Amino acid sequence: MSKFLKFTASIVLLGSAWATNANAQDADAGEKVFRKCAACHAVGEGAKNKVGPELNEIFGRVAGSHEDFKYSKAMIKAGEEGLVWDHDSLTEYLAKPRAFVKGTRMAFGGLKKDDEIANVIAYLATFSSSAEQAAAEPAPAPTGASGGDTAPVETAQAPAANAADAVIPEHGVYHLGREALPEEVAAWDIDVRPDGVGLPVGSGTVADGGVLYDDNCAVCHGVFGEGEGRWPVLSGGFGTLTADRPVKTIGSYWPFASTIFDYVHRAMPFGNARSLDADQTYAITAYLLYLNDIVTDEDFELSNETFSEISLPNEENFYPDDRLDEANFDTNVEPCMENCGDGPAEIVMRARILDVTPDGDDESGAGGID
Amino acid sequence: MSQQPEKDKNFVPARRSFLQGGLTAAGGAAVAAIGGGAALAAGTPDPAITELKDWNQYSGPGVDAAPYGVPSPFESDVVRRNVPWLTADPISSINFTPLHELDGIITPNGLCFERHHSGVAEVDPAEHRLMINGLVDKPLVFTMQDLMRFPRENRVYFLECAANSGMEWRGAQLNGCQFTHGMLHNVMYTGVRLRTLLEEAGVKPSGKWILAEGADASGMGRSIPIEKALDDCLVAFKMNGEALRPEQGYPVRLCVPGWEGNMWVKWLRRIEVGDKPWQLREETSKYTDLMPDGRARRFTWAMDVKSVITNPSPQAPVTHGRGHTIITGVAWSGHGKIKRVDVSIDGGRNWQHARIDGPSLSRSLHRFYYEFNWDGSPLYLQSRAIDEHGYVQPTKDALRAARGDNSIYHNNGIQTWYLKTNGEAENVEVS
Repeated sequence: MSKFLKFTASIVLLGSAWATNANAQDADAGEKVFRKCAACHAVGEGAKNKVGPELNEIFGRVAGSHEDFKYSKAMIKAGEEGLVWDHDSLTEYLAKPRAFVKGTRMAFGGLKKDDEIANVIAYLATFSSSAEQAAAEPAPAPTGASGGDTAPVETAQAPAANAADAVIPEHGVYHLGREALPEEVAAWDIDVRPDGVGLPVGSGTVADGGVLYDDNCAVCHGVFGEGEGRWPVLSGGFGTLTADRPVKTIGSYWPFASTIFDYVHRAMPFGNARSLDADQTYAITAYLLYLNDIVTDEDFELSNETFSEISLPNEENFYPDDRLDEANFDTNVEPCMENCGDGPAEIVMRARILDVTPDGDDESGAGGID
Repeated sequence: MSQQPEKDKNFVPARRSFLQGGLTAAGGAAVAAIGGGAALAAGTPDPAITELKDWNQYSGPGVDAAPYGVPSPFESDVVRRNVPWLTADPISSINFTPLHELDGIITPNGLCFERHHSGVAEVDPAEHRLMINGLVDKPLVFTMQDLMRFPRENRVYFLECAANSGMEWRGAQLNGCQFTHGMLHNVMYTGVRLRTLLEEAGVKPSGKWILAEGADASGMGRSIPIEKALDDCLVAFKMNGEALRPEQGYPVRLCVPGWEGNMWVKWLRRIEVGDKPWQLREETSKYTDLMPDGRARRFTWAMDVKSVITNPSPQAPVTHGRGHTIITGVAWSGHGKIKRVDVSIDGGRNWQHARIDGPSLSRSLHRFYYEFNWDGSPLYLQSRAIDEHGYVQPTKDALRAARGDNSIYHNNGIQTWYLKTNGEAENVEVS
């Protein structure tokens, strides 16, 4: 018996989701049908109540509940008894309004054809965010042999017609959200750590990477990774970290090769992120290692197997934040209040860029912050 | 003749045209700026009083003229600005909050500085999800509606980019506190504690770090220790009462109070729990601090105690001449509340306590004022903040002594404005 109830609930929910799907019905055709309604009802941007209430967000609205409209007692009573406008109730109501809500003021006799009803409901759904949401996310059909028992019900985002029908998950403290499916985690969890955790299966050679780099990367980063304009320099800079103008590159500064793979895979090329597959990313990473003399063989193939062989020369030169050991953080020193310093203050340095005008010329200055 | 400082024309065109408009109305009467209220010759009636203005006579627009209100056209110069040469492309760039035009502690939403790494993501909230995965009992997915059903909190926090004042490491460079200090805003957020969401999924004992990841095309990601994640981090969907602005991460962003702005991941879509940090680009090649010996500090998260005088400043000269003068500015600390702000008008030789007015909240901007009688002589204006732990804002020289010249981030040094006899202010460093 309970099995039958569960089954029915699933069907109803799926039915609602499909019925409001604009693809299944013809909202455009429904717009024409709505002309029969437009004398009394408005819908869309700026719609106001006329002879009948405006119909934006009609899906999920309790019958007789638009606060600015004067309804019949019958319609208010229907709402109090639980009538909520959704696909099913609208279908019945639009077929025979006065039979479905006895005493309604709506004088319209009803739509005769089923497809007219379906289409006008599809049209109205385009002005209801809850219906749109349901349409945008029809409950996924169970796939494969992975059971698919209650998953469709749990993943459906459509509000239940009755609040009491909402499915409450068992997890957590507040029982909110739902369990992430393995495919969903796999789709988003692409991060890679220095210990290789997260590396996808794949491989690519320095030579392959060179071709891909020239096509996808060189326009900003330069043919040899030297950087065009103010785009990041990717190679060289060895021995400059104590110089007046350090050049912080993959070879001179970055601590971990995994960062290259992760960043290229998630964010490059600029403006077309996530377009490089795992093999391409391995190849480009291999080529960047080559440009930095980390690997020297053009035939070197970087893969999830060979990745652990790679380490970057500057890794050991990073250490945790120890700012609090600086004298600047000594809290036992009371700041001087009077006659501090030697003699009167004198200017020792003036602003380099005197007029940072909003529309100024492309002045060049030092100390960029990219 | 005019005491309107020459440089003013670059920053406040609207104000200048406003003054010129006044000139016209006065029938070309000479306006002497010094003395402010005494701008007209003694005995000459003020046309602002004697002449009938349009707004005295005619009705203005009715309600709904601007369904979402906008500032007065006379405030049209109060905008964010960028410095084009700082970055390669505006898609991955920064602009600056006009601190010199603001008062109180709250930054209006449309003026909060922007920093994007792949432009402003336009996210449909109906299609946005927040996932929690990794070392949890049950990986979860939340819709925006789910998020808003958790218990909410309202908190005011500053957000400062770690690179704020970074252009000034080697010396005074940009003329205007908008540019030297404007990678800063202060907003009241409404959101859900990250802790609450993590507890909903159940963090495993081996979970020591989280990765916060954005939905934008840069896939912005930062590693955050679990202690901070379970302490005061907020998953926010409202700023100053309304939905987050797209450029601030609509529909949902992470707040990491007191810590560098880069960690406040916008368009937040995923929290992964792990046992080690991820060492992604923004915590290795960027946001690490190169020291004089060629080694580098990493995971330098907290923003230290800092302050700046916002008025007067290079974009906000003194136009009223000598007499009663107000110095004002903001102070903040990533470690807690501000206990005291001192102001010096002689380049740090003598200091007076400033008056803090408005709410004093942990990890929020504090507004300070110092009023004095300016005699018209040149001054070196400085402010120095001290937080509740006793940390004192250092001089720039002290910072360079400790960290060398090659740092970019975490410059919280004392700023000096040189106030000249004509009321102009310039960014300088003093002995």
